[in-house]
Amino acid sequence: MRFTLNGTFRRIDAHPLKRLLDVLREDCALTGTKEGCGEGECGACTVLVDGAPVNSCLVPIAQINGARVTTIEGLRGRHPLQHAFVEHGGAQCGICTPGMILAAVALGKKPTLDQMKVGLAGNLCRCTGYSAIYRSIDAVTSTARRNRGDRKDREARSGSRTKKPRTRAGVTR
Amino acid sequence: MANKYSWPEKPALLGTSVKRLDGPDKVTGRAKYTYDINRPGMLYGKMVRSPLPHARVVSIDLSAAEKAPGVKAVLAHVAVGAQVMYQGDPVAAVAADTEERALDAARMIRVRYEALPHFANVEQAMATDAPAVFPGGNTRQGATEETGDLVAGFAKAAHIVEATYATHVITHVCLETHGCVCEWDGDKLTAWISTQAVIQSAQQFAQALGIPQANVHTIMQYMGGGFGSKFGPDSQGIICAKLAKLAKAPVKLMLDRKEEHLDTGNRPSATAHIRAGITADGMLTAFDGQSWGTGGAGATSGFPLPYIYNFPTRKRTHKDVYINAGQQRAMRAPGHPQGCFLTEILMDELADTIKMDPVAFRVKNLPPAAPNAMWAEYFARGAKAFGWDKRHATGDPTPGPIKTGMGVSAHRWGGAGQGSQAHVDIMSDGGIVVKCGTQDIGTGTRTIVGMVAAETFGLPLSAIKVEIGDSLLPFSGGSGGSTTAASAMPAIRVTSVDALEALFAKVAPALGTAPENLVAEGGRIFIKGTPAKGLSWKDACKLIGTEPISVNGKWAQGLSGSGTSGVQFAEASVDIETGIVRVTRILAIQDCGLIVDKLTAESQAYGGVIAAINFALFEDRILDRVTGQMVNPNMEMYLLAGMSDVPKIDIMLNNMPERGVIGIGEPPTVSTASAIANAVRNATGATIRSLPLHPHKVLAALEQEKAGGTN
Repeated sequence: MRFTLNGTFRRIDAHPLKRLLDVLREDCALTGTKEGCGEGECGACTVLVDGAPVNSCLVPIAQINGARVTTIEGLRGRHPLQHAFVEHGGAQCGICTPGMILAAVALGKKPTLDQMKVGLAGNLCRCTGYSAIYRSIDAVTSTARRNRGDRKDREARSGSRTKKPRTRAGVTR
Repeated sequence: MANKYSWPEKPALLGTSVKRLDGPDKVTGRAKYTYDINRPGMLYGKMVRSPLPHARVVSIDLSAAEKAPGVKAVLAHVAVGAQVMYQGDPVAAVAADTEERALDAARMIRVRYEALPHFANVEQAMATDAPAVFPGGNTRQGATEETGDLVAGFAKAAHIVEATYATHVITHVCLETHGCVCEWDGDKLTAWISTQAVIQSAQQFAQALGIPQANVHTIMQYMGGGFGSKFGPDSQGIICAKLAKLAKAPVKLMLDRKEEHLDTGNRPSATAHIRAGITADGMLTAFDGQSWGTGGAGATSGFPLPYIYNFPTRKRTHKDVYINAGQQRAMRAPGHPQGCFLTEILMDELADTIKMDPVAFRVKNLPPAAPNAMWAEYFARGAKAFGWDKRHATGDPTPGPIKTGMGVSAHRWGGAGQGSQAHVDIMSDGGIVVKCGTQDIGTGTRTIVGMVAAETFGLPLSAIKVEIGDSLLPFSGGSGGSTTAASAMPAIRVTSVDALEALFAKVAPALGTAPENLVAEGGRIFIKGTPAKGLSWKDACKLIGTEPISVNGKWAQGLSGSGTSGVQFAEASVDIETGIVRVTRILAIQDCGLIVDKLTAESQAYGGVIAAINFALFEDRILDRVTGQMVNPNMEMYLLAGMSDVPKIDIMLNNMPERGVIGIGEPPTVSTASAIANAVRNATGATIRSLPLHPHKVLAALEQEKAGGTN
């Protein structure tokens, strides 16, 4: 099986039905991806496959041949969400944290509140630290929104707007 | 009485929001949980469990499993002829070179059972014609508690409420399941174990395996939740150690989600039939309650009743009822959420008999105020902050299917601790290592250990190396009963102060002064009042010489306290067409002694509240009434709150430094569910006297209300 793991090409000799979760943890020795329930309900094993969040406990390795897989290790500690989770106490016991962060990464830079709630609905936290998790994600996404706003303000003030302004219409729904 | 160990009056770090020391490890996947431990040549263990709720083991045939590919050890956990008392009761186990092969081999173990009569619920166990299932009886009647003249109490009552109230069984659902990795070196055992009690686990391994405790080394650096269910190796830990011994190789045995629901504890149910009296001006007069509950197969189910409020005359009896289900374990404030719910719903019903405001009624019947009994103040503060004056009387008059209401409840907890020891090393390069055999179960213990040392040495948190979670470290207790902070923090403070004094003794001659004139602040050691006359921490430590400062210390009186009180307000909306309840707002007021880390203290309160929303609205362990099988041993049909179920939550922590450190891991989870249930009652006018507030029960209560009331 061949796939790209955190930017590096990997060839894995494993049973095609072996769970992606186990391939990551055992064959690739990346234990940042956690197992909570083993049946796709808790989201602790969330990884990104071609940018989309999946429960790696439900994915046989055969399905990721040729795909791009990103685990928590692939963010290399440099993603703004990782910093925000430390800053705002988004990680308590920390076992849901890798999956939670990757699910949040998949939301993109400026999710709405509803997108955030729906996008993270499949990630359970048993310390029930959702308030701090929400604040952690919101700190990053609202900064992203603010920065974009600042730039637009600056551009508007200086009159040097080059791009056509994007409207919300047609973007959502 | 202030002494050299007393908490600083103007702390630099204590009481501020400090991010977790181990946050970076947790957000990058570097943190190694038990489940992440891999040892060279490691095998995987798998247990065989009883599929029946009650049976006699007729035979156990291990031969096929022994011959299965990759299998290195097989053992029977029970003897032929023994009884299994619940679905999931351990029977046998295997270890093999892969998880899949261990699972295959476990399926090859042939156990024949003779099914015996079982109870799937308390009604079956309490039936007059119930068969004798448990040796010594299917129930155990506790002593009667009685205060005052009950007959006279009821005679004084203008109104009497009589009803039956109940809470259900929920399980801990730790996201990291129970389990361990065991490795032997001769007769010495090393166990990486997901536990709330690292030193006590070593003790239990030693006792169960018949080896000296000195031969056992247990390690727990990170764990994915315990909530009261992880205080020792349990059967899976002992089996893991035995498999490792038999196989002569390290074994990892982590439970799966189903095993977790069946055999690693739960919060017992509670039911009470209560009669209570109230005078026309709102004074409680009498309480007469018969309660029962089940903690599973042969376990207790006690809880405080009545809760908090002052009934001048009262009588209470309690009966433990045994059913064929996994045994209960402590779960976040054991007993209190049950006692709180049973009492607080009754309180709102009593208040309504005389049309009195529930807050005013509660305040009128509180025990005397004390530093650990601040309810009257919290009711007043909370009512103002929450907008209680906008609450309508029972039954939202708003037209349409969505009804909104408010509810309130109070709680208490202990949170005292003692008996921790600690060790502090200060090296000549300025390095500091703080050691304590406590553990961080996700609450932030690692961080607050470092904070107390950093505060004492006048250094940033980053200057402290914290070592916890290892049985070779100085003694500390298990993390239960919210005792950890109150037990470990005084030990860290005392030991750090003593280490600093030893350093002062080395530094004083160089500064031409006596040690008692020195202070450590802002990364420097200097003469009190004249900061210029001093040395940087690093330069001061150069005077230590070759032998590091190495100090042992232990918990001392006066740095921690006991007893907390709290009040919570809830607002909920109910769709009376679907029965769906949504919690919209929670206000939690909590006292907590000296706050060490505001960030982690608040996290405990937020988490406690949301966990109780789970208790109120979602979680429910359901046993099939015929087969005794758990029908939802997963995370799909066993409902848990997610991000979108979380309401607006406001936390008001009452920092009381003069009381010392008091744990608050548990109290914030006690009163939320009853406040929500009271809000639902206020919204709909229908009383739901049992949890969870699932839609079908809401609808049934509304139907009953329409048909002539629930009283």
